Amino acid sequence: MIAGVRSEWLKMRTTAVPWVLAGIALIVNALLILVYFVNHGTGGGNNNGGSEPNTFGIPNYPHTTQQLRNLLGSGFESYLFALLLGTLCLTTEFRHKTVTTSFLVTPRRPRFVASKLLTAALLGAGLAVIMLVATLIGGGATLAAQGGSITDLIRQLPAVAPGMILVFALFAILGVGVGSVLTNQVAAIVVCLGWFIILEGILVQLVHGAAPWVPTGAAIAASNLTRGRGSDFGLFNWWQGTLLMLAYGLAFAAVGSLILTRRDIT
Amino acid sequence: MPSAIEVQTLSKRFGNVQAVDNLSFEVVAGRVTGFLGPNGSGKTTTLRMLLGLVSITGGTATFGGKRYADLDHPIHHVGAVLEATSFHPSRRAEDHLKMVAIGAGLPLSRVDDTLAQVGLSEVARRRVGKFSLGMRQRLQLATALLGDPEILILDEPANGLDPQGIQWLRTFIRHQASIGHAVLVSSHLLSEMEETVDDVVIVSHGRLVLQTTLAELASRAGTRTGLRIRTPELGRLVGILQAIPVGYRQVAPDMLVIDGATPEWFGPLAAQHQLVLYELIHEKGSLEDVFLQLTHGFDAADPTLMGSGQPGANGPTALSPRTAPMPGGTA
Repeated sequence: MIAGVRSEWLKMRTTAVPWVLAGIALIVNALLILVYFVNHGTGGGNNNGGSEPNTFGIPNYPHTTQQLRNLLGSGFESYLFALLLGTLCLTTEFRHKTVTTSFLVTPRRPRFVASKLLTAALLGAGLAVIMLVATLIGGGATLAAQGGSITDLIRQLPAVAPGMILVFALFAILGVGVGSVLTNQVAAIVVCLGWFIILEGILVQLVHGAAPWVPTGAAIAASNLTRGRGSDFGLFNWWQGTLLMLAYGLAFAAVGSLILTRRDIT
Repeated sequence: MPSAIEVQTLSKRFGNVQAVDNLSFEVVAGRVTGFLGPNGSGKTTTLRMLLGLVSITGGTATFGGKRYADLDHPIHHVGAVLEATSFHPSRRAEDHLKMVAIGAGLPLSRVDDTLAQVGLSEVARRRVGKFSLGMRQRLQLATALLGDPEILILDEPANGLDPQGIQWLRTFIRHQASIGHAVLVSSHLLSEMEETVDDVVIVSHGRLVLQTTLAELASRAGTRTGLRIRTPELGRLVGILQAIPVGYRQVAPDMLVIDGATPEWFGPLAAQHQLVLYELIHEKGSLEDVFLQLTHGFDAADPTLMGSGQPGANGPTALSPRTAPMPGGTA
């Protein structure tokens, strides 16, 4: 299995997919940090401290624990890139027909899917780390320029990082699961984005009490960082959310493995 | 000699199409077996069933008694070059091989070894998207050789190779057999394989037509010589032939073929009977003819098809000038 993961990692890093996704995620993150500071400075944000005027001696930059955590967790919004990373990890093989070689190396197809799941989880976690480091550098520099303290920001890492790394890994696993069922790359991407951007929100509005059960609800619970949306979602605790999210990913992967095992590679 | 590959009563059905039908054959170590048949005769499907890529409807396909998926590290035992296998275009050749080597638990030194073996060392760092068809074929072969397997399965490996490449492939395949490896190589052209194979497995419409040695097939081809004669006096010729113990068949109103006859035999006979001849063609059966007859005959089971296929292919008019200096000649 270690050989499988090492092989998968080589496969991924020798294509443009992870680098392009990480690049876009970083750009999105930079914009979010910018927006965060702009909102904060003008008091337009929904942050408790930011709306307070300067004249009362309260700093005009993120300084409360919650503000700093929000800043550090700005990379969270890129969770969809972790999902796509997982989806592409599998569907690329079918798009470029490299799956023939992969199945010759690993004829047992559930094992092939398992290697992908593990690799994608690690890649997702890696993406989270990249986002955190980028936020520390970009957000930290901006904070320091406004007179804030980078050390205060770093101090929030233990509260933010584990949840974010976990959630990104879970999304990547879900991505592999969906990709193993829908091996057509375009179909898989459309379904993933369609669900998370449009359908899930509609479902939560329509079905009372659905919020904690949908993947995003489970992921937010898992993140242990219920920024803003937490109270609306009526969340599970973090390990319940983790198990639910994992269950979604593995259920898809199990169905996908079954489909792939019966599939003729012609 | 134990068989390296055993295919027993193998069948595959795709919906309503019986792609492979009750096919049985074996491949032994130290020999090259040609897997021959026209396009669409089920060769690729059979090879893909052997390799576990296509599910089996009935029968078995095994390597030393084990299914591909049950082999411990299959890449170490069986190397395959398949049609329509692709590479990620932006991946470098050596990365493609590394990815397989790592996945199969092989030392990375094998990557350089096999690249050298197929003559791709200089383009190891080039992206596969920039490779020609011939280079891709070689990279496929390098992939197959990574595990130094004792069994090689090659599906139409000559596709896309230039004449030098084909020559190189032949030498390579012969070498593999000479060191005791079993090679199963498919082709829709027997002529392509004539100099390479020891044994032949001929299939048509998913069914086995014949498994034999190339030598035996060649001896069949040798017996298929005939003399094609065009004459305005066909009736008289038939009368003459009926008195002699010889097989013949009429293929056109003014043309017949005498089985196994030679110009040296027929010339004096024609002279003796003062027979007017327009054409006299000595047809030597080639392996390709036998192959075509076997695969077509199997399909139509119509003996006239064998004869009628040839005038069109050889073109009697094109050959007629050659018949002018006939040995024996006309009277």
